[in-house]
Amino acid sequence: MQPAENEPAHPLWAKVIDQSRCIGCHACTTACKSENDVPLSVTRTYVKAVEVGTFPQARRAFGVTRCNQCSDAPCTTACPTGAMFRRPDGIVDFDKSICIGCKACMAACPYDAIFINPDDHSAEKCNFCAHRIDAGLEPACVVVCPVEALMVGDLNDPASRVAQIVNREPVTVRRPEKETRPKVFYKGAHQATLDPLAARRPEGGLYAWSTQPGGKAQVGSGHPGRPSSSAAALLAYDVSHKAPWDWRVSLYTLTKGVASGLYLAAYALCIAGTLSWSDPLWLYAAPACALLFLAITGAILISDLEHPERFYLLLTRPQMRSWLARGAFIIAFYGAALAVHLAAGFTGLGIFLHAFAPLAGALAIATAVYTGYLFAQAKARDLWQSPMLVPHLLAQSFMAGSAVLALLALWLAPAAVPSLLWMLAASSCAHLIFAGAEATLVHPTAHAHLALQEMYGKRFGPYAWAGVVLSAVALAAPWIGIAASAAALIALFCYEHAYVQAGQAVPLA
Amino acid sequence: MNGSHGRNERVSAARREVEARGETFYPGASRIHLAAFPPKERWDDWVELDSRSWPERREHRYMLVPTTCFNCESACGLLAYVDRDTLGVRKFEGNPEHPGSRGRNCAKGPATINQVTDPDRILYPLKRAGGRGEDRWTRVSWDEALDDIAARIRRAIVEERENQVMYHVGRPGEDGFTERVLAAWGVDGHNSHTNICSSGGRFGYAAWMGFDRPSPDHANARAILLVSSHLEAGHYFNPHAQRVIEAKANGAKLIVIDTRLSNTATHADYWLPSVPGSEAALLLSIARHLIETGRYDREFVRRWWNWEEYLREEHPQRERSFEVFEETLREIYAPYTFEFAAQESGIPSATLAEVAGVVAAAGTRFSTHTWRSAAAGNLGGWQVSRCLFLLNALLGAVATEGGVYPNAWNKFVPRPIYEPPHPKRWNEMTWPQEYPLAMNEMSFLLPHLLEERGGSLDVYFTRVYNPVWTNPNGFAWIEMLTDPQRIGLHVALTPTWSETAFFADYVLPMGLASERHDVHSYETHDAQWIGFRQPVLRAARERLGEKIRDTRDVNPGEVWEENEFWIELSWRIDPDGSLGIRKFFESKNEPGTKLGIDEYYAHIFDHSVPGLPERAAAQGLTPLQYMRRYGAFEIGRKIGALHEDAVAPSELEDATTDENGRVYTGAPPVRGPNAVPQPSPRAQDGRRAVGVAIGDRVVRGFPTPSGRLEFYSKTLAQWGWRKYAVPAYIESHVHPNHLDEDEMVLISTFRLPTQIHTRSANAKWLDEIAHTNPLWLHPRDAERLHAATGDLLRVTTETGYFVVRAWVTEGIRPGVVACSHHMGRWRLSDTGQRQLSATVRVRSQDRRWTMERTSTVRAYESSDPDTQRIWWNDVGVHQNLTFPVHPDPISGMHCWHQAVKVTKAEEGDVYGDIHVDTASAREVYRRWLSLTRSASAHSPDGTRRPYWMLRPLKPPADAFRLPQEPAEHA
Repeated sequence: MQPAENEPAHPLWAKVIDQSRCIGCHACTTACKSENDVPLSVTRTYVKAVEVGTFPQARRAFGVTRCNQCSDAPCTTACPTGAMFRRPDGIVDFDKSICIGCKACMAACPYDAIFINPDDHSAEKCNFCAHRIDAGLEPACVVVCPVEALMVGDLNDPASRVAQIVNREPVTVRRPEKETRPKVFYKGAHQATLDPLAARRPEGGLYAWSTQPGGKAQVGSGHPGRPSSSAAALLAYDVSHKAPWDWRVSLYTLTKGVASGLYLAAYALCIAGTLSWSDPLWLYAAPACALLFLAITGAILISDLEHPERFYLLLTRPQMRSWLARGAFIIAFYGAALAVHLAAGFTGLGIFLHAFAPLAGALAIATAVYTGYLFAQAKARDLWQSPMLVPHLLAQSFMAGSAVLALLALWLAPAAVPSLLWMLAASSCAHLIFAGAEATLVHPTAHAHLALQEMYGKRFGPYAWAGVVLSAVALAAPWIGIAASAAALIALFCYEHAYVQAGQAVPLA
Repeated sequence: MNGSHGRNERVSAARREVEARGETFYPGASRIHLAAFPPKERWDDWVELDSRSWPERREHRYMLVPTTCFNCESACGLLAYVDRDTLGVRKFEGNPEHPGSRGRNCAKGPATINQVTDPDRILYPLKRAGGRGEDRWTRVSWDEALDDIAARIRRAIVEERENQVMYHVGRPGEDGFTERVLAAWGVDGHNSHTNICSSGGRFGYAAWMGFDRPSPDHANARAILLVSSHLEAGHYFNPHAQRVIEAKANGAKLIVIDTRLSNTATHADYWLPSVPGSEAALLLSIARHLIETGRYDREFVRRWWNWEEYLREEHPQRERSFEVFEETLREIYAPYTFEFAAQESGIPSATLAEVAGVVAAAGTRFSTHTWRSAAAGNLGGWQVSRCLFLLNALLGAVATEGGVYPNAWNKFVPRPIYEPPHPKRWNEMTWPQEYPLAMNEMSFLLPHLLEERGGSLDVYFTRVYNPVWTNPNGFAWIEMLTDPQRIGLHVALTPTWSETAFFADYVLPMGLASERHDVHSYETHDAQWIGFRQPVLRAARERLGEKIRDTRDVNPGEVWEENEFWIELSWRIDPDGSLGIRKFFESKNEPGTKLGIDEYYAHIFDHSVPGLPERAAAQGLTPLQYMRRYGAFEIGRKIGALHEDAVAPSELEDATTDENGRVYTGAPPVRGPNAVPQPSPRAQDGRRAVGVAIGDRVVRGFPTPSGRLEFYSKTLAQWGWRKYAVPAYIESHVHPNHLDEDEMVLISTFRLPTQIHTRSANAKWLDEIAHTNPLWLHPRDAERLHAATGDLLRVTTETGYFVVRAWVTEGIRPGVVACSHHMGRWRLSDTGQRQLSATVRVRSQDRRWTMERTSTVRAYESSDPDTQRIWWNDVGVHQNLTFPVHPDPISGMHCWHQAVKVTKAEEGDVYGDIHVDTASAREVYRRWLSLTRSASAHSPDGTRRPYWMLRPLKPPADAFRLPQEPAEHA
């Protein structure tokens, strides 16, 4: 077939995976490993298997799983440096040399198609073998497939087989509700292979011919309880999936909460008149301590990078749609504001802080709540797509800030302590209301529902419940005194840890 | 070749650019302008972009050198990407010039690179340093090993103990080279794995058409019936899967008979999960339907079946007319109603009726296949392939488009430089008198036969074969291999460690897919092709102008290849030529010197492959250069119905015709270039069988005694098995009638698409995908046992038990359990393959053996950083150890299915535990031996075996005569 005379400047690459032909041989998996030198323990593509039905009306349904080359790719939006990017021809490609290893792309991908390569510590995934396509060759998986179940083609070329199938045959995509507009189309796929929660997770750590990968960060595949398919469906094969973010992200929300809350709590006391505008607590202690916690926050964030030495790329080549990049600037500006505040205090210009504090306070609020947008950008994690998250983070910030400020006040401004304890009680109350609403409202998706089950269930329940109980203890601050501060800080870490981990505990692929 | 294009310039493989340059565009599945492969004109120097440094465009220059996969028997083409700067292999892709695999591969093709770079592979010849099985080794030179082995073999030959030399091969992956080596030595020492693999399947086909394999033309079928799982297993996995799925897309109906939900059954329009062993009954009910409804090809049956012989031999009182035969046929199969088949198979009769309708509607476009599966599982399993082919024979779907061809017509074995005569002395240890009809050597009985008959082997080669692990009753193999009275010298020829190699005296490293020469041809479809396996670095470096002495110069370490090894060994056995051996390994170009590998293959490609010299010349290449460059050659396609070919008048001089219409001629044989093994009816009065008279024509027919398709096997009737002389149903040893109430049937033979027996554990990507073999159990049985997935179960066989985990699945019939056989690899110490094996402690007392795990697979440090990322710690369970031998009394096939008791594990049971009593295994052997009908008691003509049947090495007719004294154990 000759390309049309008036062909567009760029093709629009898409793939069709014809599951009605797929024989589950895994050739695509190993051809991909070979072509792209993919190490053990991670995969760019693999063949999931689900046993559907009951004997003798049963089948083994296969699902070839990989990056969907989304038209609206959440990974490219979330990537703070542009290491994940969409080419004009629709391929979502990546540049490892500028990947800082923040894993925001992994948190964002609703298909769990991205991983950190243990060799080079950078994010990678299927890129349609862009290096082959640009050389005029089909991707390795397409070439190897014994039964021609995989096809690549140009959606702009009506003569291409892929365009014909996509436009004329019943095809489907994975998780269209994520509004990513995938360009990998499935023909003849069973829903139990496309929906990660449709099939039951086997007991005993087994699959039909392999074992379920273990380890702490491992995300179990298949539904551990009540699968979403009412056809009998049992997951028979899947690969390793790891949660991108660990305890450091939970800890970072706490330290960042302290950093922002300290300033906000002190500011609130000043406005309320409980604290003098010239009190050392306001002039020096609160901003200095906030700056310290902000520095700790930065250190935690950098230590969480797979490439900590490249952290500066966040600031030198930011991709400004990314809330990780935006957050870096917010934190930087807030840090600068705190420095200005301190400088003003030390140089006796504290009087001008009346005028400056609203700006610094706004940056503190931004620092406290931007994480809500960052989490929401993790499109994969339904639990985190909550509009309540922003006010909730603000409440947590006040809780953390008042808890730490109370300790400082005990030393520098004992008179302010009772007010701070009441602030701690009020913010703990708000936090518990948000947490309670989160836990009791009906979540709209099976994913969020399962995440919540995991949060309060066997796996993360101890953290979540500790968080709730200790928050209740903090609620009693006016009566139990300063001990509530410790309770509040531990409560917040525990709760956040359960929340962050449970959000990532739901299988996506 | 590409001089005009310059070197080292990156060009596009896309269609327009390629065609503008006048090169070859290889379209892929996408059918767009992207190519599946670089144009072959550029294979010498192809520039590709680095995937790792992407999007930086870093270039690499490759020479693309073809070879053939050495994993399963499909022998798919591979293209090695040889880096022109490092002269290492970067990767393996498919070979678009290969007619069978057409550029595509299964998971094992690309994973070949894992095998090549496996940090645990054997790189140097090793000699045992301690006792056998003590696992202590010292490195020796090839010279030392060769001299030692050669001296022993020479002595055995000189002392006329030549049959104490044995070569035991797994899947050969080559056509006849080593058989000819043995023939040159005069040794009847060929021992194959076939009787634990495909003898059951083969026997049924051989009974019908002489040829022992089918060549189904799936791509053009209207209905496909598989008693197999060939969308995922060898013979011929990838080539067949391509064509089955193609046919399905064109509307063909797929019927799959398999107790277990295979990936093949998944694709079936009709999945018939029948009771194990009932397959023949099920097939006969379909046959009955065709007969009863008259929906068979009357003309085909009349012309091609040996119905006249049947009536004459079995119903001499009846009129010898076709109508009477049809009536008799109806009588024979009347009992096989759908209701009867339903009762036997558990498949509802309505379903059977529907399926029978689909079969009938397919007419001559009906392709069928069985290979191991039921034919390898059951007593009388050979009747499964026979009953399956009966359907083709009824429909006339034999050698038709979309039907089934005899394999030999779709196979081409080019005649080699030398064809030494076959050995003169019969080997009783491989072809014992009790099994005169055995399709192949009674290989898996070797430990029993040596023990029972006081036999011994002086030199025993195991070649890429692992009987300790693969064969039933592996502990008896250890008993044999560690007994110096039985085995004088055991030489393991293998690329990688195996359970058998641990018990060898020499372990000699042989090359993998890209490190050895072989030529082969398989019946993947209605065509004839040859494939060439070659050491790709040798080919590449020679193309770059280097002179290579032998393949060891290019292989890793001192890894060699068998072709050169055998030539060298043969010279050392007969250095002065006095034994008459050396002459078969001498150069013809330079007499008196050693035959080189180039001359050997150049001779074949120059003289024995029609069309190849012309094709090569058109490109300015010699035939050998052509094969080194492209790796495969198609001799012809659409070979057609050769049985209808008229015999040339020149071949009919001095011809006679027997009562069956079989035509014998006195004309000298015509030696064509295709030396594919064929059965050969014994010459009559010095005349050879040349054809068969059908109507008024003399045509080629089939290489059976009657020249026709043998509905009736006079051979079976004459050798003591009259009741099975026509396709019939034999109750399996695991028929429900023979099971105790608490017994279940264990299906132990099924394959996974990503592993291949004992050969693929050295491929990390395959191990990562598949590394365990839990016991498939239906939920109903699980409930009865109070077992859930992952629970430990004890599976007790006749001779022992193993402890395994449960996989509760809807993919298996209630009352049946299944366990894939690839897994449970073990090693005795740190020596061995570490990516998929557990370390075990083996103990024995009074022939009671135990195996316990001391440690399992784990991450380890090696030259490959990936071994530190091994995350699995399960390797499955070695179930075959607990199976006694079950030799089918007719085909000789080991009948794999086991009647077992499945219980919850007992206290103290640990995963992977094995307990076996080899003394009781011997009793089971004796019991099955008693089912046989020995040649000494039943031979109709004083011979050991029907002469016409296939035999890998075929001694002259007088060696077939039974000894005068009846054999002691007959």
